[in-house]
Amino acid sequence: MATKKAITGTTQAVDRCRRHFLKTSALMGLVLANPVLAFDLNELLQGGGDSENGGKTGELLKGAGKILSSQKEMDFQSEFALGQSLALEGFRRYGLPLKSKSLQKYINLVGNTVARHSNRPGIPYFFVVVDSPLHNAFACPGGIVFISAALVELMEDEAELAAVLAHEVAHVGHRHALKSLKRAHLLEGVGQITAATMQGEDAEKVRQMVGGLQTILFDKGLDKNMEYEADASSVATTYRTGYDPRGMQRVLRKLEREQEGAAKAGSWFSTHPPLASRIEKAKDQRDKYRDDAGSAVVKTRFQRYKKYL
Amino acid sequence: MKRIFFLSLICGCLFFSSAAAAETLWVTVPDAKLQAERSAYADTIAVLPLGTRLEQTGYESRWYRVRTGDGRSGWIYRGNVSTEEPAAAAPETDDGGGLDDLFGGMMDSSIEADAADSSRSIRGLSPEAEAYAQQADTPAQYRQALDDVLSVKVTDRELAAFKQEGKIGEYAE
Repeated sequence: MATKKAITGTTQAVDRCRRHFLKTSALMGLVLANPVLAFDLNELLQGGGDSENGGKTGELLKGAGKILSSQKEMDFQSEFALGQSLALEGFRRYGLPLKSKSLQKYINLVGNTVARHSNRPGIPYFFVVVDSPLHNAFACPGGIVFISAALVELMEDEAELAAVLAHEVAHVGHRHALKSLKRAHLLEGVGQITAATMQGEDAEKVRQMVGGLQTILFDKGLDKNMEYEADASSVATTYRTGYDPRGMQRVLRKLEREQEGAAKAGSWFSTHPPLASRIEKAKDQRDKYRDDAGSAVVKTRFQRYKKYL
Repeated sequence: MKRIFFLSLICGCLFFSSAAAAETLWVTVPDAKLQAERSAYADTIAVLPLGTRLEQTGYESRWYRVRTGDGRSGWIYRGNVSTEEPAAAAPETDDGGGLDDLFGGMMDSSIEADAADSSRSIRGLSPEAEAYAQQADTPAQYRQALDDVLSVKVTDRELAAFKQEGKIGEYAE
């Protein structure tokens, strides 16, 4: 009898333990499934790390990223030097900057406004309107962006200008020109571009790189997927900045109307994918940002500066 | 009775843990302002660097209510943050990677900020581009043109005033 009681007592105790375990597990599961609480727990485990700066672990990872990126990519100074060399050829090919300082400053204000909201906001950007009858815009590695007077002339508001400049900033951000050089094996054997290397054997390699960039950006055009990516980034960037994200669609439609009879060589017509497919993709992208109430078009200010063309 | 009490406890925990769960946001622009109210004209509580992690506690008409890691709360404009953590380095793909890497190059931009800052102090052509111009026999007018382009400076204050005048983004009515 006493033994039976003891067995029953033991069984009940095991049941209670099991129920407690299940309850505790359920509650712990809820706590850990909550990202906020999980984050706090993570902080505690890291010894109350500084979440704003990522803590020591973040610093270490940042350091590792620096080493990795220096091995993978051309450093900014070299990229910018290459971009400047290409810009010199850009003036040779597309003409000199328009004289109006007011217009050039305005283009720089619009361009830098969108660049702050791009995927690479940490570098300086420079924008220039050149005296060219071709409908064209292109970006040099490192952040110098050209746009032709003819393309600005076609536009009606600042949101359209912002869209084209954001498209070019996206090419810089995604390093499309450098990736294209890499595909053409023109980056091989070139580490840093410095004043010293420009005097040695590497100078010829740099000239080949600039030549390759001219072929890609002025004549053949970038890979069409890179253009679609820049269009998508442009729509996202203009939306994030606060401009009407339909600006890119409107510019592309205007170009479509201009296409017949327009000079093609060296323009967006010959170096970019067909306009119909770009318009369709830009529309799909814009549809992701339906909550664009209050987005800016800024027609009056644009028209004021357009008179300087 | 006990079972009902226990189920209520579970449901309560589930409700409160969901309510407390907040989305994490990251600052995606250099020097984003944390405002005391949902307006660019409100007092600035803090200026947050690119990559700052924030906890979202609300959203109203293009502004996020957020809390910083050190417990400060305020409002930040939606165009200055993202739900995607900026990557440590841009992925080395050979073709377009879609919008998934929209912020791919952001953190390495901050890494290269030192280089960018020094380039800001360079007025005119870099010595490397000058050397290229000599070797390529670039006419003086093109060198002067590039010099002029690189001499245009835009400050953060000018950009803010420009957005304000155009009623763009955080300055929209």
